[in-house]
Amino acid sequence: MHILLAEDDPLLGDGLRAGLRQLGFQVDWVQSGDAAERELRAQDYAAAVLDLGLPRRDGMDVLAAVRAAGLAVPVLVLTARDAVPDRIRGLDAGADDYVVKPVDLHELAARLRALVRRAHGQPSDRLRAGDVELDPAARTVRKDGMTVTLSTREFDLLHALMLNTNRVLTREQLEQHLYSWGQEVESNAIEVHVHNLRRKLGSALIQTIRGVGYVLRDPAAP
Amino acid sequence: MSRAAPSLQVRLLGLMFGVIAALWAATLALTLSDTRHELDELFDAHLAQAASLLLVQDADADGDVAAPEAPILHRYAPRVAFQVWRDGHVVLRSANAPALPFGPVARRDGFAFVDAAGARWRVFAAYDTARRRQVYVGERLDARGEILGAVLRGVSWPLALALPVLGLATWWTVRRGLAPLRRLGRALAARRPDALDPVALDDMSAEMLPLAASLNGLLGRIAALLANERRFTADAAHELRTPVAAIRMQAQVARAATDDATRAHALDGLLAGCDRAARLIDQLLTLARVESAQAPEMAGVELGGVTRGVMAELAPAALAKAQRLELDAQGTYVVRGNALLLAVLVRNLVDNSVRYAPPGAAIGVRLHREGDAVVLDVEDGGPGVADADLARLGERFYRVAGSGAAGSGLGWSIVRRIAAVHGARVAVRRSERLGGLAVAVTFG
Repeated sequence: MHILLAEDDPLLGDGLRAGLRQLGFQVDWVQSGDAAERELRAQDYAAAVLDLGLPRRDGMDVLAAVRAAGLAVPVLVLTARDAVPDRIRGLDAGADDYVVKPVDLHELAARLRALVRRAHGQPSDRLRAGDVELDPAARTVRKDGMTVTLSTREFDLLHALMLNTNRVLTREQLEQHLYSWGQEVESNAIEVHVHNLRRKLGSALIQTIRGVGYVLRDPAAP
Repeated sequence: MSRAAPSLQVRLLGLMFGVIAALWAATLALTLSDTRHELDELFDAHLAQAASLLLVQDADADGDVAAPEAPILHRYAPRVAFQVWRDGHVVLRSANAPALPFGPVARRDGFAFVDAAGARWRVFAAYDTARRRQVYVGERLDARGEILGAVLRGVSWPLALALPVLGLATWWTVRRGLAPLRRLGRALAARRPDALDPVALDDMSAEMLPLAASLNGLLGRIAALLANERRFTADAAHELRTPVAAIRMQAQVARAATDDATRAHALDGLLAGCDRAARLIDQLLTLARVESAQAPEMAGVELGGVTRGVMAELAPAALAKAQRLELDAQGTYVVRGNALLLAVLVRNLVDNSVRYAPPGAAIGVRLHREGDAVVLDVEDGGPGVADADLARLGERFYRVAGSGAAGSGLGWSIVRRIAAVHGARVAVRRSERLGGLAVAVTFG
């Protein structure tokens, strides 16, 4: 899952980025409100973690601007302002979740996963497509009840496709899901990962729409 | 223990009652003396007239009549008595006249007070030389007193009746006059304890306006103070929670790290977070101490020595960043102040430069005089501060956006507060010599 982290504190930002990466997130980190808004407009993030006390542009302003621009990206506000009026203001301004510092890394990750799941209309934490079941928290995939071992990139790719069942994702969109800034994207990386997934989970699962991208078809889904 | 002053209404009523009572008494006294005087004149005139009548009357035609007594014809008549004497014998007298003469029986004229027959009399004497007649007409003084009393009773009734009516009218007037004050009191009492909006000044009496305006000023200051405190709490929450959040996050990263590099990086972050939290706590405590130090002990302090000591303390940190730290202080600079607080001030200024100026930058500290004033200049080759941010420096927790180093902004508050305690001015501008921030603290 590719998320944007907007946190001006160097130490906390560094810790959050490292911790979320350990838990399998792709993290882009910005340190100002300007940059946060710019990146949210430019890229398709699965979710954003937004500190409110950002320099140059307050987090609340960024949130309002992003929502005014019609962007539906799930936003988790991470702040030290714990007064109830602040929480209400944050949620009213379009935050999907409001977490007060200090936060537990695993709780933050769980909340982010829940935000992403809800944003895609998935009722349960586990994603299913046919006989394939994906657990985002445990980062495990089962086929017919048997655990299938996937690489990090393969898991992320499958996760992105399963979150968007029956929707075609372009190669660029998939790359955005898989890679954060500064990571080298090999020219045929997506093709290789799709090939591996088909080999491990069956060729019928992921279909190629030539010249457009890939789609995961789930006959059970409407 | 202080006793509450009597209420304004009681005070006003007391004063007005006092004045009215005094006026009332004065009126009565004046009426009394005036009436007595007029009555005396009137009665004296009657005495004189009666005497002259007796002198000219021809009843005995020089024939000696053995003291005939005149009849009493009016109820007031027993109070008045007369005697007519001739050559030491009473010729004529009223029935109530004493047997003894009112005075010497010959050659007496005019008014006199006489004690006779157990009473005090007002007597008019007249002497007719040709007929050798001495006439006395006397009036009992107690009779005059009774008449005066009767007259005064007639006058005082309305006055006495007017007194309570006046009192009531006064009470009503005072009460009504003070109604706006009571209204204000009720309005203030009815306010919620946390309501700090100003009191409405429309239809407020001119006398109450200054009071209400001062009250509004006070309310405004309290509101600003409270807002400031609330902001401080919010900012403090942010500043205190962020390092804790960072420490926690780095600790979780270190625990879950699978490679040594990640773990080492996280542990470094953990230590940095602890240092930052410790410094923040130090600064908060310093600020709390400085703010509670209303009147610290003041003495002559040699600022050069204080500055040298602080800079020696901070030199290792500057050397670690390869910064050039310089002090230019020729002679002695004695200012009146508290040595401990002044050291804190200098430390915060120099420490700020060391922290925010990049490696290799110059940091210049200079002491000099401007007239009688001692000026401490701290300049650096750091990034400086934008004009818009200059004004906000010194607000607690105000941090300049994008300044890389972790600071809380509390240092500035400490500097401003200590300067205020010493009556010193703090000016911040761009350093022309070094390009970064220049702070000038002017003492005296």
